[in-house]
Amino acid sequence: MRIYATCVYLFLYTPIAIIALFSFSAGRHASQFQGFSIKWYGKALSNPFVMDALETSLMVAVASAFLASVFGTMAAVALQGIKGLVRTVFDSLIYVAVMIPGIVIGIATLIGLVTVFDQLNPLVSTLWPTGFTPPKLHMGMGTLIAAHTVFLMALVVIIVRAKLVGMDRALTEASSDLYATPMRTFQQVTLPIIFPAILAGFLLSFTFSFDDFIIAFFVAGSETTLPIYIFSSIRRGVTPEINAIGTMVLGVSLLMLITAQLLLQTGGKKNK
Amino acid sequence: MTQQARNWLLLAPAGTLFLVMLIIPLTVVLIFSFGERAPSGGVVPAFTFEQYANLPARWTAFKNTMTLAPVGTLSALIIAYPLAYFLAVKVDSKWKTILLVMVIVPFWTSILIRSYAWIFLLGGRGIPMVLDWIGIEGVRLINTPFAVLMGIIYGYLPLMVFPIFVSLDRLDKQLLEASSDLGAKPWRTFLQVTLPLSIPGIATGCMLVFILLMGEYLIPALLGGGKVFFVGNALVDLFLQSRNWAYGSAVAVALIVVMLITITFYMRLIGRLGTSRDDVSIM
Amino acid sequence: MTKQIDHISKKKFIEELERYRKGSITRRHFMNITGLGAATAVLGATMSGPQAFAAGDIGDRVVLATWPNYHDESNFEAFTEATGAHVQVNVFGSNEEMLAKLQAGGSGWDVYVPTNYTITTYVDEGLIEPLDTAKLPNYDASAFDARYAEAGSVGGKLYAVPKNWGSTGMAINTAHNGGKAISSWKEFFDISRDSFSGRSMVHDYQLTTIGSALNYYGYSFNSVDESELADAEKLLIDVKPHLFAITSDYQPSMRNGDAWLTICWSGDGKQLNTDIPEIHYVLGSEGGEIWSDYYAIPKSAPHKEAAYALINFLLDPNVNAKEVLAHGYPTADSNTYKLLPDSIKNDPILFPAKELLSPLEFGAAVTMTDPNRAELMARFKSA
Repeated sequence: MRIYATCVYLFLYTPIAIIALFSFSAGRHASQFQGFSIKWYGKALSNPFVMDALETSLMVAVASAFLASVFGTMAAVALQGIKGLVRTVFDSLIYVAVMIPGIVIGIATLIGLVTVFDQLNPLVSTLWPTGFTPPKLHMGMGTLIAAHTVFLMALVVIIVRAKLVGMDRALTEASSDLYATPMRTFQQVTLPIIFPAILAGFLLSFTFSFDDFIIAFFVAGSETTLPIYIFSSIRRGVTPEINAIGTMVLGVSLLMLITAQLLLQTGGKKNK
Repeated sequence: MTQQARNWLLLAPAGTLFLVMLIIPLTVVLIFSFGERAPSGGVVPAFTFEQYANLPARWTAFKNTMTLAPVGTLSALIIAYPLAYFLAVKVDSKWKTILLVMVIVPFWTSILIRSYAWIFLLGGRGIPMVLDWIGIEGVRLINTPFAVLMGIIYGYLPLMVFPIFVSLDRLDKQLLEASSDLGAKPWRTFLQVTLPLSIPGIATGCMLVFILLMGEYLIPALLGGGKVFFVGNALVDLFLQSRNWAYGSAVAVALIVVMLITITFYMRLIGRLGTSRDDVSIM
Repeated sequence: MTKQIDHISKKKFIEELERYRKGSITRRHFMNITGLGAATAVLGATMSGPQAFAAGDIGDRVVLATWPNYHDESNFEAFTEATGAHVQVNVFGSNEEMLAKLQAGGSGWDVYVPTNYTITTYVDEGLIEPLDTAKLPNYDASAFDARYAEAGSVGGKLYAVPKNWGSTGMAINTAHNGGKAISSWKEFFDISRDSFSGRSMVHDYQLTTIGSALNYYGYSFNSVDESELADAEKLLIDVKPHLFAITSDYQPSMRNGDAWLTICWSGDGKQLNTDIPEIHYVLGSEGGEIWSDYYAIPKSAPHKEAAYALINFLLDPNVNAKEVLAHGYPTADSNTYKLLPDSIKNDPILFPAKELLSPLEFGAAVTMTDPNRAELMARFKSA
């Protein structure tokens, strides 16, 4: 058993070790090690396109994870008190959004929005006051955030609802019997209970959005996210710059994890 | 404000998003799938079943997806289960978190970069060279279905380990002890107690991995050398190379239908297993 | 170091380059990264200063959509140093892919590199911007060989300026074929199914892959005849299980020895041959493609001023000469040609003998838009 586990960990980490190893290669090609150097780290950090892509990815991931958590939680809470047709429609939409492969979401969003924008843009410019340049709807960061949000939101609804279902109804009833406003009941009773689920949903959404390639590939318009940048770099023949980026992203995530763990530990002690 | 009005208000953003980003796009795809290819690409509105009639031209892509997705899911399950079991049951609680996190950490490097590492490992200067060295010559790994399967297992293993771990971790250890106290052999305990109780985890993990695999594009593209083709690759080709939106829409609709059928069937199966699990727990 | 030679004239630089070349350094050595790296530093310095570029602020970025292994990276660094605009390079494997991306809208490209036969389609679709030659002072129309420049003008309007031309042939690693090269598409597809099984590659690009299969039967590279295409499809489907990969970025697999044979653009052939002399570049005796690539600006380009500045920079004969040394494709610009070392001017890969070029064809516009060819390629890939 122990040996088996060791083998699986080796399987998981060998490729990562190779990525990290080649990030220190001095040569131009990512598949041949030619002397130790950290120059690719410098190159990656001073390449504005890498930094822009990272910034875009972070913005998209934070925005869509935030919107998905908020809208998803709102919907989950509302759906608790709704029955009938509306409930059925929403439930099936949530099911469809989670089940449809990312590639279909990407393609559908692209051709759907391009078609809609082609109809809307002339309309907008005729309605717009003369003398001002009318806004032009196009594919870009907005559409990417919306595309990510829609199915991450479905994911959040599922996670939060699982928690809401398990919640004792007597608690909210008691709260409203004590003349608490619904808002207050939500703030003081419901929210603390479902908060871990919302947080889990947020983190999952962030991770997904940050790593997503296929939806962004279709929907991002002229924006470049980090995965899109990496994909086009792989196609143009990878230099160890890509390895350096990957190693840094991994390093930063690890650092964040360790910090979070330490914070939780000290926080836990204080509570005691 | 009445409760109903409040509920409507709470649902408004989600509803709007679903309408604009899901219902409208999917409707456009459905409409386009009955259209015709415009001479220079794009779509001409029409009402024809021509695109659907042409679906058999992508039979191989559907076949590849429909074989490698289940095979990949099962392989990942077979590799993940013992590890999840080890982590949940055998490992000292002190090490549990660390070892579990170590399963997830590879997930934080972009799947692109991880697959790129496999291009090197499976290419002529990686594993085949090592095999050459120990006397097994002429092995070719990269750009084969095996390479794609390898990439799939590697890419999705953590997604499989995690839910199984969660379901096994919740398992009452006293139940296992009771079973062995009653003289059950370890494998009997496993088959009759542990395995049935971990079915929800297996079901979730398989579902997650299967859904992602059905729409897979990157791994076949990077490790299959354009030779191992999934429906996802066919779709990218139709939209980004041959610019046949009408036919591409029909292929997308077909993929959605295939998935709906498979997953509904799968849920039924799980539901049935779930009831038989209750029997076990009663017994 | 760059500061000291800031004021070297262009003429002096060329003398330096000549001296450098005539020294005891071999061509192969000259071509390697260190040699070019040294030349880069010198060139980068001479290029700095605003005189070579459009006046005014061009912003801090420009996005270029181009082909694999197609530029001297150090030229982009020099451009950034001189103008402050960083160059993002996106690489594509086929003209269809570029067209699809532009048709879908919002590509974000400022400059792209279409091939001769595609430009009329871009004009018809309204995707390409007519060029303002006033913003391209380095563009000297009279210096270009019309054969490789005429496709840039459509209906009397200039839409694209020539980058370089080249041929599409095949590269073979002769070490695996008893030291012998091959010379026809017939041999290419036959040994792919025999002694080179599992070792050969075709492009992920319908024009060249279907074109080569058509050549196998002695048909025209550009054929859209249904029965001829059916023959080509049969051949391709038959070859497919024997292929190593279907990809337009074949250099890595040729270099690491995984693959031994590929459909190849002449510049890639030159680059491979320079580093690995056993890899030969040959033209198919039945025919093949001769082509010319152009710089153009999409209508949707977000940074048009930067686009003009980049094209103008890359057209500078000094810069272009360095591009040629890096990518190994011949230039149609006589001003650039003059700056090239004799070894390049006499290179049989860049400038093949007339009789070898004569069976080659330029791609035809209809080949790009023909739905049957597009669907054939997609079928072949998903087969």
